[in-house]
Amino acid sequence: MNDIIIKTVVRLIIPFVQIYGIYIILHGHISPGGGFAGGALIGTSLVLYTLVFGIEKSKEKFSERVSEFAESGGIILYIAIGLIGLFVSGSFLTNIDSGFPVGHPGTVISGGMIPLLMIGIGIKVASTIITLFHALIEEEEA
Amino acid sequence: MIIQIPVISLVFFLLMALIVPLFKRRNFAVTTTLGLIVLLIVWVLTVVLVRDVYLNGPFTYAFGNHESFIGLELLVNLFSAGFALFMLSLIIIIYVYSTSDATEGIAEKEYGRYYILLFILLFAMFGILYTNDLFNTYVFMEILSITTVSIISIKRKKENYTASFRYVMLNEVGSLSYLFGVALLFMVTGHTNIDLVAASIQSSFDDYTANIVTALGFMLTGIGIKAAIFPFHIWLPDAHSTAPTSSSAILSGLVVKLYILIMIKMLFRLFGFDIVSAMNIHIVLMMIGAFGMIMGSVFAIGQTDVKRMLGYSSIAQVGYIVLGISLGTVLGLQAAFFHVLSHGLMKAALFLSVGAVIYHKGVRKVKDFNGMASEMPVVMTVFGLAALGMIGIPLTSGFISKLNLGLASLDANQGYLIIIIIVSGLLNALYYLPILIAAFLKSNKPGDLGLKVEPIPRLMMVPIVVLGLLIVYFGLFPNMILSWFEEIAVVLL
Repeated sequence: MNDIIIKTVVRLIIPFVQIYGIYIILHGHISPGGGFAGGALIGTSLVLYTLVFGIEKSKEKFSERVSEFAESGGIILYIAIGLIGLFVSGSFLTNIDSGFPVGHPGTVISGGMIPLLMIGIGIKVASTIITLFHALIEEEEA
Repeated sequence: MIIQIPVISLVFFLLMALIVPLFKRRNFAVTTTLGLIVLLIVWVLTVVLVRDVYLNGPFTYAFGNHESFIGLELLVNLFSAGFALFMLSLIIIIYVYSTSDATEGIAEKEYGRYYILLFILLFAMFGILYTNDLFNTYVFMEILSITTVSIISIKRKKENYTASFRYVMLNEVGSLSYLFGVALLFMVTGHTNIDLVAASIQSSFDDYTANIVTALGFMLTGIGIKAAIFPFHIWLPDAHSTAPTSSSAILSGLVVKLYILIMIKMLFRLFGFDIVSAMNIHIVLMMIGAFGMIMGSVFAIGQTDVKRMLGYSSIAQVGYIVLGISLGTVLGLQAAFFHVLSHGLMKAALFLSVGAVIYHKGVRKVKDFNGMASEMPVVMTVFGLAALGMIGIPLTSGFISKLNLGLASLDANQGYLIIIIIVSGLLNALYYLPILIAAFLKSNKPGDLGLKVEPIPRLMMVPIVVLGLLIVYFGLFPNMILSWFEEIAVVLL
């Protein structure tokens, strides 16, 4: 796709989509959405980039190495947070009892560990969506 | 600290699966060694756990310190921890074998993927054994199905894709059927925790008979499809014969048994055998088991491909276990448990020794086994031991399980079942003995019977020999393990 209009518009849109995705991830525990929905938004913005600028350029921005680390890292973050609960208060994924801040209900800093878990899920989902898309494109070319 | 062991083993498996892709650019031996270390650590932890449960009794573990009616719960008793230990031990043996035979049909860049899938499979297996929650069981069942279908299709051949498509379609029907049953139970009881649901079923059975019986039917059918119990077996031979050898051993020896264990949990802990027998479900199970024992063997007789034959033989052997369960007595359950163990060992030994033959000679048809014993004496001896065990010859663990099954059916006043057991054993002989006769008595080159060094790597040899020794050991000294199984069965009934 070499249309200048599409390229310019996509360049303009992508930052907004990604910021909205981050917003959804961070507000997962107090509003509809969450790690999966926000991660899907970020992943879709990368898919949009691949569609318009081609897979080579997209791989420069989001290489295979990065996606490997992001995919494993998302779950490892989740497990690590769960293990904090295990070591502090004797049960996997314990939330308030193991010292995560309660905060004010209804604000972003509340709900203890849940926002942190959402970040892990968001990373994982975003990188999975873009990796799957790249794998499908490469399979078609091969 | 001991109560954390189940969670820690789950975390270890998941972390190992996640670490494999990060080591993609290193030497592959690093990954396999690390995997073996993880397996051994978890094995030691599980031994400690089983010892603790044996001495101090069962305990529950709540995630996030929630009450059991809100949160997830793990139940650790002799049933879950003991079978986890058995499955892990068998998997370590198969894993050691697979480190030198992962090549069979898998492209080199897929090795890593195979081990990722293997560890997620282990994660799901341990989850199913330990969990005390119906919905959580469903989630782990789905993880198990998805990893299994990926392992079956990892060789990227047309037959693999056909087999895995068939597998995924039938197993999805099974999963959803199970889930529908759970939903019906949730409607009646308002819980998914097995203990709470069981208590609630006992008190509300008279008011909500239709719901509960429908749920029982759906759940049994769903698990029956996944465990390849006779009329639902059609996916199994293709799937198990096209998968890579070491995973055929895991799928046939362990994964199918896992669903049987879920079924035992469901029949005896969730519904209770009183309700099951009041609905005559045990008669249905008995007939299904008996039909499976005969028909699985009959199907196996016509097969020319050895791995396919072993797949059909698994269907017959699942029939034995179902028959033992359907008796609903301590002896019957004990025989069923022992057959889970002995069939796991024998089927793993059969698949691994056939895998060694495929590795060395590249053949897998029955007619190609002529004179194989003079070329690969140790491998074929273990194959022979396991095959004799399947037939039920004394000195092997297969004999002990058939003997116990026979005694259990006499004890339950169902003496005619012995005829079926004997007929099924004879049918087993009809398809295993020709291979043994071809391998040991027919020689391609007459006079060439001198023993040679086995032409396969030592790391493949050791697991096969260990499995052979275990089959004989459990055939000679079954008493200790039988008394353990008796204890488990008494708790369940």
